[in-house]
Amino acid sequence: MKIAMLVYILMPLSIILAFLWVPPAQFLGEASRILYFHVPVAMVSVIAFFVSGIYSIIYLYDKEKKYKLLEEKSFNSARIGILFTILTIITGSIWAKISWGTYWNWDPRESSIIILLLIYLAYFSLRSALSNNSNKNMLTSTYLIFAMIVVPFFVFIIPRVYPSLHPDPIINANREINLEEKMRLTLLISVISFTMLFFYIFNLTNKLSIITDKIEEKNYEE
Amino acid sequence: MEASASIKSVVSNLKKEFTIEFRNRFAVNVALSFAAISTIAISLALGGIPISPKMKAVLFWIIMFFSAMNGLSHIFTREEEEGTSLFLRLNVTPESILSSKLIFNIIIFLLLQIIITPLYIFFLQVEIKSIIPFLLTLFTGGLSLASITTILAAIVAKAGGKGSLFTIISFPLVLPVLWIVINSTFISLDKQNYYQYNNLLFLLAFSATIIAVSFLLFKYIWLEE
Amino acid sequence: MISILILTDPANSDIHILQKNSKMPKNKKLFHIKAELLSKKYLKFTVFKNIKFTIKTGDSIAITGPNGSGKSTLLKLIAGIEKPTSGVIEYFYNDQAVNQEQLIRYLGFISPTISPYNELTGLENIQFVIGSRDINNINTEELLKRFELYKHKNKRLKYYSSGMKQRLKLLISILHDPPILMLDEPGSNLDQNGKDIIYSYLNSERNKKIIIIATNEEEEAKLCNGSISFN
Repeated sequence: MKIAMLVYILMPLSIILAFLWVPPAQFLGEASRILYFHVPVAMVSVIAFFVSGIYSIIYLYDKEKKYKLLEEKSFNSARIGILFTILTIITGSIWAKISWGTYWNWDPRESSIIILLLIYLAYFSLRSALSNNSNKNMLTSTYLIFAMIVVPFFVFIIPRVYPSLHPDPIINANREINLEEKMRLTLLISVISFTMLFFYIFNLTNKLSIITDKIEEKNYEE
Repeated sequence: MEASASIKSVVSNLKKEFTIEFRNRFAVNVALSFAAISTIAISLALGGIPISPKMKAVLFWIIMFFSAMNGLSHIFTREEEEGTSLFLRLNVTPESILSSKLIFNIIIFLLLQIIITPLYIFFLQVEIKSIIPFLLTLFTGGLSLASITTILAAIVAKAGGKGSLFTIISFPLVLPVLWIVINSTFISLDKQNYYQYNNLLFLLAFSATIIAVSFLLFKYIWLEE
Repeated sequence: MISILILTDPANSDIHILQKNSKMPKNKKLFHIKAELLSKKYLKFTVFKNIKFTIKTGDSIAITGPNGSGKSTLLKLIAGIEKPTSGVIEYFYNDQAVNQEQLIRYLGFISPTISPYNELTGLENIQFVIGSRDINNINTEELLKRFELYKHKNKRLKYYSSGMKQRLKLLISILHDPPILMLDEPGSNLDQNGKDIIYSYLNSERNKKIIIIATNEEEEAKLCNGSISFN
């Protein structure tokens, strides 16, 4: 698979770049390297959410059932998403402890990642409560769509209600989102490799879903 | 002819909802009891210790949120429990069902607020510096809470509606509302002549969006696939 | 006109056809339902497979068979309350296609699992449906008397006996004079008097409607002029 190749090349590359090549940031020192993991993981957790949501929308639109297993794919994306969300929280907390002294601060971005976690948990709870229901797929898909709609409202509020602790300024001396060349490059490669990782795992889980589905059909036909 | 038929249908349904609620008063009783008990418990626990306006705003909306959780999911789950869900499905169009239940939940929640608010003000000695913004926040916040809980109640009813599932799935989606409404209430408790309408616009936009999407998606929830 | 029911290769049951002749309906409101390759599975357990039929106004069909054989399921499928796992079912009113959403206008359905509101009185339930369906020109009093519910119209449904409830359910289901009437075990819970009331109604409407009854009772099956039986 092409994606597999990309992941196998890019991931080690980004790890090497992050630890060995890129210089440490001004105030944080070596600890700043966590940037190259925290940001991509955070991005992927959001991407996973939207991928889930899009599959849910397509599922509702696809009345002739042209595409199979859309709801299962949405579920797969959500599973990966929650994993990355937890990673985001962990890496973020570590960074927070080092930069600001405490693990958790209810800074707007921290709050939004908690919301995302709660949405994922709600989705999984709903899905398991519905496990015997014939309409399960419709119901979980509509819930995800509502969640997707509420998220922009959140994104809108957050910067306005609370000042942000999130430190774009802390990376370098001026209070601008200015990273040095090397840092920018490393971050870019890191983001790409984590995104590729997401799609790689997503692909694998989808294949697994197809196989599981076929096995189930066979079981019942006997 | 179509429009008047729908209005007639919605009115019939509303009449039914209010009649049933009036006769067994389940939802209202539970929500009110909860709110009263919480308010009194908080007041008792504080024992006269003053708390900041921010704290008062926060506690107020926590009570409101959980009252909504206790009282507003009933609207759909009782149909499933009593076996009237199919009866409704066979006799009334989905649009009329959603409209009537939405209007019902909004009215009931506003009624709850009208009763709970004075109680809260009394027991926690709340002083409101800007009354009109406070009331407007109350109304728009209530509208938002009622809209989102109605559609989620429809989803949860199909899932068996047991226990805290409703709270689990409502909480993340209600958070933006809570955030804004607590902030807005706090400011109206704290500052005099406060007229900032951004928060209210936000809440109205939220309600409108949720209601619009509810109408789009209700069919998928209510009818079998 | 004689309708033809052809059934092929049922998964786990033999399905037989008994057909007598049906009469031409006298009014022009013709409804017909057509089904092809209808099958239903619950989580991969096959209830029935490859059912095909055409039913027209004036037909009255009994679906018979032991409990659990799929009678109620087939009824619900035809009513649109459940969707088939595969196959197509189509509805036509005077040759115009009718989709699932519009079907409730033309359908009356009674079943033990469908209940009107216990907290409302008989009359309030009736008025609720009249308002929801926007029914005009209906003589509620006469209907109540016909079904012997006039005395109980102001009692809440929770105080009704099961026989009274059944009669009320039928009354409510015919308020909008539906061209299709589907009944799941209509005679259950009824004493002879109750059964007489319901059967006499069905007899009087047979030629003007499509009537489909899922039942174990011979008396009810005899009312019909066609049947599908699951064995």
